[in-house]
Amino acid sequence: MTVTRRANPKKIKDKDSDLIRAINSGPFDRFPELVKRYEQKLYNFSFRMCRDAADAEDAVQETFLNVFRYLKDFRYETKFKNWLYRVAASTCIKKRRKSKFAPERELSLDEILPKDKAEVPDHVPEWALMPLDKLLNDELLDQISEAIYELPEKYRLVIVLRDIEGFSTAETAQILNLSDTNVKVRLHRARLFLREKLKTYFTDE
Amino acid sequence: MHDHQQCRAFFEKLSEYIDHELDQETCKLIEKHLRHCQPCQACLATLQQTVALCREMRSTEAASAVPEEFSKRLRAMIRQIV
Repeated sequence: MTVTRRANPKKIKDKDSDLIRAINSGPFDRFPELVKRYEQKLYNFSFRMCRDAADAEDAVQETFLNVFRYLKDFRYETKFKNWLYRVAASTCIKKRRKSKFAPERELSLDEILPKDKAEVPDHVPEWALMPLDKLLNDELLDQISEAIYELPEKYRLVIVLRDIEGFSTAETAQILNLSDTNVKVRLHRARLFLREKLKTYFTDE
Repeated sequence: MHDHQQCRAFFEKLSEYIDHELDQETCKLIEKHLRHCQPCQACLATLQQTVALCREMRSTEAASAVPEEFSKRLRAMIRQIV
């Protein structure tokens, strides 16, 4: 992992710092605590990225192996969680390149914009006004998951990190080694793609 | 996409608007435009709801709990390396 070093980088203390320092000052007997802390989150993230349960399990295992291998290099210049997701994202990207799902491609405007002027709504549709607890059900959650899986990887990574995992634009940019602008552009396109899928779902319902 | 040039310009910024990442002046311009443009109101509302639904996926984590067998294998592997 290439890291650009600044002259006097500010050290960041977060909820993981003490545990990471304890692990790094060895012996490594507290490493399982770190695994316990992030196992569920990394499994969810990997599953959303890989789609396939076996691939997600491999990705989680490889991520923890890489974390174990490189934890000594962690410089406390970023939140540990961001560094961890950087390792996880990189592991999932490598995994998916060998996978049969969704080949890498750009999102075309046809996929994210209404097809013609006639499709531009002149009123807010009912589904956009409904409270989430009235709208959400298992079928809709499946539809959203399915639509996320259909996104090309570079868009899926951004929307999963931003809207599902809850990272900020700056953190997502840092995790994926992108500019803030690039993150915003990809996020907007990914959201528009999902919106088109939702519009179709509610129209066909 | 309706073809009004201003609509298109605002349409490109709607995600940043939802995420409160725009400066005050741009926000005011968007809000002024929204007051009299129904297609843009619909665009914003549908995009906001899409984002809200996506964020709800966060709380459905229990549905994809880590398989117990995998968890055991992972812990065994970790015990071996530490």
